[in-house]
Amino acid sequence: MKITRRAKREAQQLYRFCLVNGLLDENRVRQVVQRVIATDKRDCPPILAHFLRLVKLDCAQHTATIESATPLPADLQTVVQTGLTHRYGPGLTTEFAERPELIGGMRIQVGCDVYDGSVRGGLEALEKSF
Amino acid sequence: MTDLLKEIEAQIAGAKAMTAKQNVGVIREIGDGVAKIEGLSDAMLNEMIDLGNGITGLALNLDETEVGVIILGDYTQLKEGGEARTTGKLLQVPVGKGLLGRVVNVLGEPVDGKGPIKSDQSYPVEKTAPGIIRRRSVSQPVQTGIMPIDAMIPIGRGQRELIIGDRATGKTTICIDTIISQARLNKAAEAAGDKDYRPIYCIYVAIGQKQSTIARVIAVLEETGAMPYTIVVVSAASDSAANQYLVPFAGAAMGEWFMDNGMDALIVYDDLSKQAVAYRQVSLLLKRPSGREAFPGDVFYLHSRLLERAARVGAKYGNGSLTAMPIIETQAGDVSAYIPTNVISITDGQIFLETDLFYQGVRPAINVGISVSRVGSAAQLKAMKQVAGQLKGELAQFRELAAFAQFGSDLDAKTQAQIDRGKRIVEIFKQGEYNPIPVEIQVVVIWTVQNGYLDQVPVARVKEFQNKLTEYFTTRKGQLLAKIGREKALGDALKAELKAAADEFTQTWK
Repeated sequence: MKITRRAKREAQQLYRFCLVNGLLDENRVRQVVQRVIATDKRDCPPILAHFLRLVKLDCAQHTATIESATPLPADLQTVVQTGLTHRYGPGLTTEFAERPELIGGMRIQVGCDVYDGSVRGGLEALEKSF
Repeated sequence: MTDLLKEIEAQIAGAKAMTAKQNVGVIREIGDGVAKIEGLSDAMLNEMIDLGNGITGLALNLDETEVGVIILGDYTQLKEGGEARTTGKLLQVPVGKGLLGRVVNVLGEPVDGKGPIKSDQSYPVEKTAPGIIRRRSVSQPVQTGIMPIDAMIPIGRGQRELIIGDRATGKTTICIDTIISQARLNKAAEAAGDKDYRPIYCIYVAIGQKQSTIARVIAVLEETGAMPYTIVVVSAASDSAANQYLVPFAGAAMGEWFMDNGMDALIVYDDLSKQAVAYRQVSLLLKRPSGREAFPGDVFYLHSRLLERAARVGAKYGNGSLTAMPIIETQAGDVSAYIPTNVISITDGQIFLETDLFYQGVRPAINVGISVSRVGSAAQLKAMKQVAGQLKGELAQFRELAAFAQFGSDLDAKTQAQIDRGKRIVEIFKQGEYNPIPVEIQVVVIWTVQNGYLDQVPVARVKEFQNKLTEYFTTRKGQLLAKIGREKALGDALKAELKAAADEFTQTWK
């Protein structure tokens, strides 16, 4: 599907309308989707496709994925969550995942930011330095 | 052994695990040397992006949700969905004297098979040009060894002189001749132990040329002994458009090092038309809006920011110079096209080469009437100024009279004499390729023409006369030539000596 510049611009406007205090409002998002579909305009699909992309990027920006080789104890999970909320502000969703290939340590990704404290990450960095 | 174990244990105990923040993105789209990367929210303009597999990219477009990156390497190894990360570094190339005599690519990596380059310093490829305060006026000459240029369109150190003309009119040859001339002068000064002479190091940037053409240029530089004073920076026609767009900037960075360290350098961009085409390709792939001839709106800025880096800087700011000789190829002599007019307006003068002159046998095929050097006359040798001051006017007059004389044969003696003199001047300005003439010889030859020694010589034998005269002065009047070179001006005593020598020669010449 070709997304025109106009469609992109309109999707951007709709996305901005869904922000409340810098955070995405789920109700507004639903309303926007319903209303755009209701208008039954020819360029609805490209607008909604780009809108969906922006919402996905926003969700990724406000989602912290914490990966570790073994499951983290509950108290450590709380400490990590608190630290991340302190740094990135409220509205952050945290997801914990188990990845044995990390060997040890922890890897946190929030949007584009990655904090790699895993053994695997260290080994990769060492390999690159050679 | 136990000591070693203890040492390692102590180091492990003292080591702190540091977790650095990285900024990552995902390759969303890739093709034709350009990638769109989603994420990379901290990416800077012109920052190097690590695309994995040892491939580097350069961030050129910073959009709200994605970054447009040009890939400096084999993009076929990369795939959509791959991870990319910022490096926090700008694109840099190695600089220094270790590069002299080498052939390198856009990243400063050797491509001549002569082993690694010895360089411990690097310069960013994109750098702000020196401002007004840092600059000095152009006052020292660059001896090209090409008679019409040194006599009528002189180039100074720190100047930007455009070489413009159609294909196969001798644009590259002029630049190669200039490089050879610099190498000869450098060698001569080294041999004579002249500490006052400031050598000029040369950088030849080949953009979008055939590999065979580049190999030929390198062979000529090696044969003539110019390679030890020259760096060749190459991005051939088979290279990606991104490399062709960046290679002149890499060459400029290498030249700037000489300028910043109290040395003089000359850089040849061969040619900027091909760079503009490569930049247009990159810009269109990055979906930047296109303008005239489909070039992006900032194509003027592309060339101006490159050529502004050529300068002569003050003693406090490096005390060196970077002279630029950009080449532009025109289509059917059309100098009013977009890129030629842009570069003409940026440079401090231009040398026009014409196909018609080339096929008439006037080589170098310089059209003196429309060629100009805006700052070079301040740098011209005084002796040359004394003998060649009137030449441009005389040649212009000759062309006008010659055109007029076509309509009738009855001409007064004065007009006929002017036409005859003009024919002889055109003849002495003809010069073979890769054979620069030392400035002292040029002064002598032009002096003899101006003083009527060639008036009795038939036009067909002018070249023969010039060759014999050159031979006579080099073999028998070496001291006189050295004196001209030393004094740099023709005083009365020197003129008398010149006259005596020229008289002696004309008596023996048949």
